[in-house]
Amino acid sequence: MNGMIPGGWGFVVAAYSVTAIVLAVYGASVIARLRNEINRRTHD
Amino acid sequence: MHVDNNRFPRLPWIILGIGILFLAIGSYIGLFVAPPEALMGQVQRIMYVHVPTAWNALLALTFAFVCAVIFLFKSDWKWDARMEAAIEVGVVLGFLLCCQGSIWAKPTWGVWWDWDPRLTTTAVLVFAFLGILALRKFVEDPGRRAIWSAVATIIASVDVPIVYYSVRWWNSLHQLQSSPSTVSRQFWLPLRMNAFGILFLMTAFIMLRARVASMRLAQELVPPPAVGENV
Amino acid sequence: MLTAALRKELLLQWRSRAQFMAVFVFGAAALLLFSFAVGPVAELLRQFSAGFLWLGLLLSSTLTLAESFHAEMENRAMEGLLLLPANPRALYYGKAIANWLQLTLLGIALIPVMVVLYDAGTMRIPMLILVIALGTAGLSAPGTLYAAMTAQVRSKQTLLPLLLFPLIVPALLASVKATSLIILGDPMNQLRSWIVLLASFDAIYWSLCGLLFGYVVEE
Repeated sequence: MNGMIPGGWGFVVAAYSVTAIVLAVYGASVIARLRNEINRRTHD
Repeated sequence: MHVDNNRFPRLPWIILGIGILFLAIGSYIGLFVAPPEALMGQVQRIMYVHVPTAWNALLALTFAFVCAVIFLFKSDWKWDARMEAAIEVGVVLGFLLCCQGSIWAKPTWGVWWDWDPRLTTTAVLVFAFLGILALRKFVEDPGRRAIWSAVATIIASVDVPIVYYSVRWWNSLHQLQSSPSTVSRQFWLPLRMNAFGILFLMTAFIMLRARVASMRLAQELVPPPAVGENV
Repeated sequence: MLTAALRKELLLQWRSRAQFMAVFVFGAAALLLFSFAVGPVAELLRQFSAGFLWLGLLLSSTLTLAESFHAEMENRAMEGLLLLPANPRALYYGKAIANWLQLTLLGIALIPVMVVLYDAGTMRIPMLILVIALGTAGLSAPGTLYAAMTAQVRSKQTLLPLLLFPLIVPALLASVKATSLIILGDPMNQLRSWIVLLASFDAIYWSLCGLLFGYVVEE
């Protein structure tokens, strides 16, 4: 049932986690930079 | 000088929300609902994030190319901002693609990298566009920065198919390693959902990042009060 | 217009031939270092000799290319040149051709170094020279464009290779493959297709970069 490659789950979890982490961290970074710019603007 | 393009300030957030939703649902289906594949077993599930990431990375960089061309013709700052955003998002997605490809390669081929033409081209692409981002950081004059990075983007984009074909040729002479197999029809649902999920995420990221770039540009293009000279 | 630009470039290069010597020594040293990195295994060295030659050439090219706009930057001569009737395209092609010639010469000069260090002799010298010429053309076209850009920027030494290297991957692949076939033998007659690939790559880049150069130097 599992096909010819044993123990796949570890890699699957790794792939999905890396995806989630990279997207989340990048998203947070963009949002943080945007907030920064908005704050700088309102203070100028 | 007003560079902002904020007709629909809430739009990116809505798109972001939808994207996260689609991605969550699609991944859930891909992980727990879809059956494992006959040959590759559970590892096949990686395709449900890998393929959508690939489509969107390519899309982001194609959009960057389009922005570069439009900027050279129209000299409108908002296209420079969009190009910067598209390149950055494209690089992030490309980097992600290399990580996923590597994680896929290890159980499949026993090595962390399999010189698959598409993956190898992606790696070269990531370096090329990272270089363009570096170029942008080192050029202070906004006008020059915009023009130069647009030129560099066009050259790098033209290079992409060339790199792909050369690597494919080069690879075919050594080993016959097949690329990740395409997903069979019955598994299209998680693939499509994730594809849209990442598409919306990417779009939202580009919109927000372009806003950041526009605001920074607006700041730069205002001449400093004391010295009357332009940047 | 082009011939005037070319003549000026060649004259400039002739005047700085000491610099060419230095770059040659750098290239030869690089080839030496590669053999130390790999170890004194004759078969391995011979097998990878094409790769080493081209890596050495590539590294040396960053020195040559970075230097090529030095004269202009020193005297702020770039603006002066552009005020002349000559158009930027002539400037570009003049420099690109001069750089190409210099790199080809460098490649040819490194052949004996390669032959000696890696036991990589071949009878097909004219073919080898052709491949070197085509490969360095692929380096020179984008290299000259980016040299013009980075000459005007801080951190130029890092930016030029950073920008250039990903772009010349196809040229590198094809040149190494073609050179390898010449040195190690070509049982299936693949050399021609690699040469065609190199030539097409050169055609694309020489036209595209020439077209875009105007944007790089306009004020």
